[in-house]
Amino acid sequence: MITESSAPAWSDGPLVCRQVHDLTPDVRTFLLAPTEPRLFRHDPGQFLTLTLDIDGSPVERCYTISSPPTRPQLAAITVKRTPGGLVSNWLHDHLTPGTMLRARGPLGLFSLARHPAQKYLLLSAGSGVTPMMSMTRTLYDLAHPADVVFVHSARSPDDIIFRRELDLIAATAPGIRVAHVGGDSGRLNPATLRQFAPDLHQREVFSCGPAGFMDAVRSMLADEGFDLARLHEESFSFDQPLAGAATARAGGAFKVEFTRSRRTVECDADTPVLAAASRAGLSLPASCAQGMCGTCKTTLLAGSVEMRHNGGIRPREIERNKILLCCAKPLEDLVIEA
Amino acid sequence: MNARTPAADLGGLVARRTAGQSLEAPFYVGEDFFGLDVEAVFARHWLFVAAEAELPEPGDYVTVNVGPYSVIVVRDDDEAVQAFHNVCRHRGARILNEERGSVGNIVCGYHRWTYGVDGKLLHAESQAPGFDPSCFGLRSVHVRSVAGLVFICLAEEPPADFDEVAARIARYIEPHNLRQAKVATQIDLVENGNWKLTMENNRECYHCGGHPELQCSLFPIYGYAEEDIPPVLRPAYERYLKADDEARGTYESLGLPYEAIEELDTRTTGFRIQREPLDLAGESFTEDGTAACRRLLADFPTGRLGRLSLHMQPNAWFHFMADHAITFSVIPLAADRTLVRTTWLVHPDAVEGVDYDLDTLTRVWTATNDQDAVFVARAQQGVTSPAYLPGPYSPTEYQVEAFVNWYVTRLRAHLEQ
Repeated sequence: MITESSAPAWSDGPLVCRQVHDLTPDVRTFLLAPTEPRLFRHDPGQFLTLTLDIDGSPVERCYTISSPPTRPQLAAITVKRTPGGLVSNWLHDHLTPGTMLRARGPLGLFSLARHPAQKYLLLSAGSGVTPMMSMTRTLYDLAHPADVVFVHSARSPDDIIFRRELDLIAATAPGIRVAHVGGDSGRLNPATLRQFAPDLHQREVFSCGPAGFMDAVRSMLADEGFDLARLHEESFSFDQPLAGAATARAGGAFKVEFTRSRRTVECDADTPVLAAASRAGLSLPASCAQGMCGTCKTTLLAGSVEMRHNGGIRPREIERNKILLCCAKPLEDLVIEA
Repeated sequence: MNARTPAADLGGLVARRTAGQSLEAPFYVGEDFFGLDVEAVFARHWLFVAAEAELPEPGDYVTVNVGPYSVIVVRDDDEAVQAFHNVCRHRGARILNEERGSVGNIVCGYHRWTYGVDGKLLHAESQAPGFDPSCFGLRSVHVRSVAGLVFICLAEEPPADFDEVAARIARYIEPHNLRQAKVATQIDLVENGNWKLTMENNRECYHCGGHPELQCSLFPIYGYAEEDIPPVLRPAYERYLKADDEARGTYESLGLPYEAIEELDTRTTGFRIQREPLDLAGESFTEDGTAACRRLLADFPTGRLGRLSLHMQPNAWFHFMADHAITFSVIPLAADRTLVRTTWLVHPDAVEGVDYDLDTLTRVWTATNDQDAVFVARAQQGVTSPAYLPGPYSPTEYQVEAFVNWYVTRLRAHLEQ
C-alpha cells in the first residue's frame, strides 16, 4: 500500500490491467493500475482517454472512471460490448490482466464535486450509469450526509449494471435511495420522476445516457418548471442507445478524429462537432459558435457534414473542404485537421 | 531653405509658390508637409486604390493604408464593393492586417468582434444586456467603382464633382470591360522619393529618352506642341500624325470616344483622358507594338486601338489597350518614400502561357517603372540638398505645372478653411 502523501497524482502514462470483472453478459469492468506507484486523483464522474493501437492504427476513446476517487490506487472503466464496436470489442477481447495501455486524464466537468448540494437526483440510462456509480461510491465511501436519489433506466433487469452493489449501498447507506426503471416496469416519465423525487426542485440533477434519454430528461424537467441551470449532462462515451430511453435514436454516434490533437471523439448527427469535442474535454479555437466569426474554421480530411452557417465561411472555402466546427454536424465518420 | 522649416511657415510657402517652377524643397522633404498632404489631399480627395478585378468574389478584400488611415475595401454578398475604416468598434484594434485576402465575415483578431461584409456588427461576445450591436457597425468610407476602377474618399463630404467626372470617363473606359477582367499580375514598387515627384515624373515625357523599352511603342512626343518638337523627334512625330489619322477613323467607326478632355487643375477632381495611337504595330505596350495577350479584353474587331490613357489627381494613371489594361496607384508612405502599385488586367478567360506570356506582358512597364524609380530617387536626393533652388518647367512639362497648380490650389483651399 502507498499513502496519498507519498506519491504524485497520476496524470497520464502507461497503465496495466490488473483484473477484469464480468457485470452482465456484455458489460465488463477493467481495473487499471499505474505501472509505477502513483495515485489516481480525480473527481467522481470524470473520464480518461485511452490511446490504443488496434490493428496498427492509433485509436482514442474516452471512458468514465467508474471507480471512486476514494479508492485511488486503481482506476476502473466499465465497458459494454457493442455489436460492431471497434474499441469496445477490442477491450473485451484483448484487455486481460497484464495487458499494457496508455491513457490521459482525468478530464471532464461532469461531477458533483463541482456542484456541492444537500440533495442530488442522479438519472442515468445504459452505460450512462458509470459516472453516477463513481459519484455514488464516493458518497458511500465517505459516509457523506447528502440525500441521493439514483434512478437508472435499463432495457431489462438482466441489463442492470452494478445492480447487486447498488442494492448493498441502498441497504446500508441511510441517505442513498436507488431505483430501476425500464423493461416491464415502464420508462422514466413525469409520474415516476415525481414519485421518486417529490422534492425535485430542491435537488441538483445529473443526467447521463444516450442523447435521446438526455433530451427526454431535459424536456421533462423543463415541463416540471425545474431550473435547468441545475441540470448537468454528460453524453460522450456511450456506444449505443438503450431501449429504455424514451426517444433513443437508432444509428448512434459517429467517430470524429482530430489529427493534430490526436484525439477521437464521438458525435451524433444532431450535435455540432465543436460541441462534441468540447464535451470530450478537447478545447479548440472558437468564438461565436454560431457560424459567423470563422474562428473554428478547419479542414475536413475525410467524411461529410451538414453545415448551416451564418456567413463565416465562403462557398469556395467549402469547396476546398473547409468547415466551421461550431455548426458542422456529422453525416458519417470524420477526420478533421485540428 | 531646409527640411526643418517650422510648421507655421507651411501657409507662407503655399502662398508664395511661383507658377511655372518646381516647388520649394520643404514641399518634398518636410515631415510637416507630408502630414499636410495626407490631411489636405489624401484624406479629402478621391483616391484610386484597386481594380475591381482584385476583388473577384464576395469576401475578397484589400487593405489600403494612407498615413494614419487604414481602409478595408471588400466585395459584399451582393457583389458590390464596400469600404470601411479598418478600426474595430470595440477598442479600436486594426482588424485586418494583411494587404489582401478573403474573409467570410470581417473578424477582429483581438476579441473576435465579427462584422458582416456590409459592416454590420454580427457578434460581440459577453456584452452587457443593454448592448445594441446596431450602434457598433464598422465606420464606412465613401467608395465608388468607375467602370471597374475602385476609388475611395476618406472625407466626410467628398468632392461633389466626382459624379460628373466619373460619368465622363466611364464612357471612355467601359468598352474595355474591366469589371469582368482578371488580374494577370500586380507589382508593388517603393520609390525613394516624395509622392509629388512620382506624380510629376509621370506627367511629362521630357525624360522619355531614359525609357528605351517604353519608347518602342509610346510616341515620345507626349506633351509636346508641334512647334516644340526637336529635330531628333521629328520622324516619330510624322509617324504619330499618320497613325493618329488612321486611329481616328477606327475609333469613329467603332464608336469609341477619343477626344482629349484635359481638366487637370481647373476642378477639384482633376483629370485628363484621351485615346491615341501607339507606335509600330499600334496594339500594345510591347517592344514591337503587337498585342501581349491573344485574347482581347472585349469583343473588339481589331487589336489596333492604341492606348486610352487617363490621369487622375492626385494619385493615379491608367492605360487601356485592346488586349490589356494597366493601372497605377500612388500611395505616400513617408515624405521620401512612395508606393507605386502597378496592376496588369487581361480578359478573364485569358490563360497565362497560352494566351499571354507574363514576361512579355509586363516587360515594358516593369522596366519603365524601375527607370522612373531611379529618376525619382535622384530628384529626391537633389531637392534635399541645401543647394537646391526651384527651376523652370519646359512647355512640354505643362502637365507637371498643372499637377503642381492643382496641388497648391487644394492646399490653399484647405488652409483657408
